[in-house]
Amino acid sequence: MEIVVCVKPVPEAETRLRPDAAGTALDPEGVKYVLAGYDESAVEQALLLRESIPGSRVHVVACGPAPRTEEVLRAALALGCDVATWVDVPAASADEPLSAARALASAISPHSPDLVLCGKQAGDNEAGVVPAALGELLGVPDLSYVLDVRWNAGASRFSLKRASEAGLESWTVPAPCVLGLQQAWNDPRTAKLPAILKSRKAPIARVTPPSAAADPASSPRRFELPPPRTGAKMIEYKTADEAATRLVRALREEAKVLP
Amino acid sequence: MTRTALVVGELSQGRLAGATHEAIGAAAIVSGSPAGVSVLLAGRSARTAAGELARSGVARVVVVEDPRFDAGPPAVLAVQAAATAARIGVGVVVVGGTTFGREIAGRVAARWDGAVATGVTEVAPEGESVRVRRPVFGGRATETRVLGGPRVVLAIRPHAFPTPASDGPTPPIEVVPAADLPAPLLGPIRTGVESAAAGAGPGLSDAAIVVSGGRGLRGPENFHLVEELAASLGAAVGASRAVTDAGWRPGSLQVGQTGKAVSPQLYIAVGISGAIQHLVGMVSSRVIVAINSDASAPIFRVADYGVVGDLFEIVPALTAEIRRVRAT
Amino acid sequence: MPDFSLSPEQESLRDLARKFARTEMTPHAAECDRAARFPEEIYRKAYDLGLMNLNVPTEFGGSGLSLLDQCLIVEELAHGCAGMTTSIIANCLALEPILLGGTSEQKERFLAPFCREYHLASFCLTEPSGGSDAGALRTRARKDGDGYVLDGEKCFITNAPHASLYTVFATVDPALRHKGVAAFVVPRSAPGVLPGKDEEKMGHRASSTSTVRFEEVRVPESDRLGPEVDGFSLAMRTLDQTRTPIGALATGIAQAALDHAAAYSLKRQTFGKAIAEHQAIQIKLANMAQAVHAARLLTWHAAWAIDHGARGTLESSIAKCFASDAALHVADEAIQTFGGYGYMKEYPVEKLLRDAKLTQIYEGANEIQRTVIARELLRAYA
Repeated sequence: MEIVVCVKPVPEAETRLRPDAAGTALDPEGVKYVLAGYDESAVEQALLLRESIPGSRVHVVACGPAPRTEEVLRAALALGCDVATWVDVPAASADEPLSAARALASAISPHSPDLVLCGKQAGDNEAGVVPAALGELLGVPDLSYVLDVRWNAGASRFSLKRASEAGLESWTVPAPCVLGLQQAWNDPRTAKLPAILKSRKAPIARVTPPSAAADPASSPRRFELPPPRTGAKMIEYKTADEAATRLVRALREEAKVLP
Repeated sequence: MTRTALVVGELSQGRLAGATHEAIGAAAIVSGSPAGVSVLLAGRSARTAAGELARSGVARVVVVEDPRFDAGPPAVLAVQAAATAARIGVGVVVVGGTTFGREIAGRVAARWDGAVATGVTEVAPEGESVRVRRPVFGGRATETRVLGGPRVVLAIRPHAFPTPASDGPTPPIEVVPAADLPAPLLGPIRTGVESAAAGAGPGLSDAAIVVSGGRGLRGPENFHLVEELAASLGAAVGASRAVTDAGWRPGSLQVGQTGKAVSPQLYIAVGISGAIQHLVGMVSSRVIVAINSDASAPIFRVADYGVVGDLFEIVPALTAEIRRVRAT
Repeated sequence: MPDFSLSPEQESLRDLARKFARTEMTPHAAECDRAARFPEEIYRKAYDLGLMNLNVPTEFGGSGLSLLDQCLIVEELAHGCAGMTTSIIANCLALEPILLGGTSEQKERFLAPFCREYHLASFCLTEPSGGSDAGALRTRARKDGDGYVLDGEKCFITNAPHASLYTVFATVDPALRHKGVAAFVVPRSAPGVLPGKDEEKMGHRASSTSTVRFEEVRVPESDRLGPEVDGFSLAMRTLDQTRTPIGALATGIAQAALDHAAAYSLKRQTFGKAIAEHQAIQIKLANMAQAVHAARLLTWHAAWAIDHGARGTLESSIAKCFASDAALHVADEAIQTFGGYGYMKEYPVEKLLRDAKLTQIYEGANEIQRTVIARELLRAYA
């Protein structure tokens, strides 16, 4: 089975967010980009499927600029992905989810994968658009908020769970398809030191999208941090009941978060 | 010039999802009034549900009565939405902030070639374009974007938009046949659903109120205090990493850097000291309440309201007070 | 001029160690310290990730890292827990004599098991009657037929109760002093190898330290490393290799102390503002930062010099001595920054002081390091 897993370099969780000089985007100065969150779960799922389906191959694909994109591809290779493709596009394209999906689709479709896995969204701009858009662009069904994907060879279908407002749904989905993975359900593995060293020397195929398809106009205007909180207003009280009464009154009358 | 809008409705057990009402509210802002908004409802109960939009003042309700929309994946409705949007000639498609809505937004954007933004908390027309504001980086920052081009797709964030007043005219209902649905998209089949345990899955991520418990509860046998408070508020239950690591509650309830990021209207932290790993996951909540015995706990620096005291006394009193207020 | 930037490969090694320290070590550091627990499950995980036998060349199944790469990893691990780090890197010390003095047959035979599965090894040099005076060994290696019989006691041996292999230094003739020292590889299973009870230590309490008694232990000649008279030199050359990572370990402790102090200073309020806004604290933090930075650069320089073929005795002694003194000082200042809370075990900084203390003592006490530095220095003027 040919499994493609799409990953995106995102700033590591500890990054101190700061607007750039224009105030329209994250200041990339000193930011370390990593393979993280949802994408780690997607890579783990791809590797688990490969281990359970003989003759499978995991192909990791990422779009974005150097060097951050190469770094996440190498991280995925170190985790055990077999081959890697770098779709070389500028950061602005990679951050616009529809152009990212187009760039990824152009690199993926020649390989006719049986399964495309993505994190359901990226931890930076959190759009959650790419899995469904990829499904449309590749002409295959998609499902997101997915976990625990298994292959049922007899039926030629994947069985999986989907976390929705209704609860944990069970679905079966025929191959080929695109699946967007939930985070933090499969305890992603850690790359081992020898694999990390080996991944540094592994070849990475570089492709450029055939044509810079006209990006839908989406211009960043402002990137802001929330105003710092100045510390809690402390509820003064003599008895627990008094504390409860005062807090509920504040939440209803001042904060207006309770009816 | 403002844009006309199409809201893609979501039916949940035959009724309109709350998210659809919120989407209509957002669409009315973009279009200037509900009169610029059309609503698409698809599924066996679409016509009945359309009745819920009586006096909503929207331009029309497009009804597609076809069971394939009930069983199928979001992609099927997305195809119908793109076809309907093209037929009516709207300038913006708006979907609710559910898991279903987000998936629809991605496929409609690609199929209809629209500029897309999801998780939108604020929206306004700006000349020919649409200005949106949305949290990014797990709510640690917000971005404002201007979406131009002839077609715009928006998925709104839950609880961010008011449901519109119902004092307008009752919209006409147009019953239309289903669009041509590509066969591969009908391949996925839902075979069942286990109803969510409190706080599981997106229930926690999307809840308007979250009550989380931490190490201050001292043991799993006391966690019911948090659950009872949550129940009194109709809130989702969360937990700090200390609690899930110790196995008091499953990892799916963990709020924080390695768990879920939440940004509800109200977040109540019970017995949580506020390690940075936890704060990252909840600091973007609109109003934060902290209940903790240690006045120097870092949680009080991000909280809006703090109660320093014995949670074993405060929390039951709070639960009782909320029950009392709700009952009156 | 050398290039101070790390390669992407080095960055990824450091990331691996940092992630391991944060997710596996830090969360258990306080508990293991309090209970003096030897967290073997963590050491096994470190082994599985390739973080244990860092110095073993790839042809013998190891990672074959340069000394600088090893230092990058050790600093990050020590940031998580110095005691655990001591146990994790003890194999590097114990196996180094085999790497330096073993024949290819011996390397193959002794090292292969370590690269196949988790094993610990211990370096047995120090004796109750003397640590730094390695020429005055009392453990005897008596020639007997086609082998030797070892008799004596070693002390302060890291991981000894858990090790499956010991590299042991013993004298064939005490009268010969340095020239009588020979090095042997002794399996734990050999009759007469008797590790003692865990010592109760001030710091590094997640590590295990004990005596090892050798009672009439028969060692075949094929398990002797190098010529009979070469043991002392082998021990010294080993320590030349492993001293620099101790600088990295101390730097990791110092960095952890600085991190805790700086973060706390922004949170803690006195006189109506964060203590970070008081100049007294700013000066403290600035001095701590200088010490950490200098310790790291001296360590990197020593590692770089040795990686480039220098013996590095002077550079590694300077690095180890400076970094360990810096660690003690920075940990001390971190406690001072925390005030009364810093003295409490509930907060993480007092442990750092206890852990830092050992880095001034083990792998050559700082007094010996200064003696070496002075000797090397004066040689240039003689």
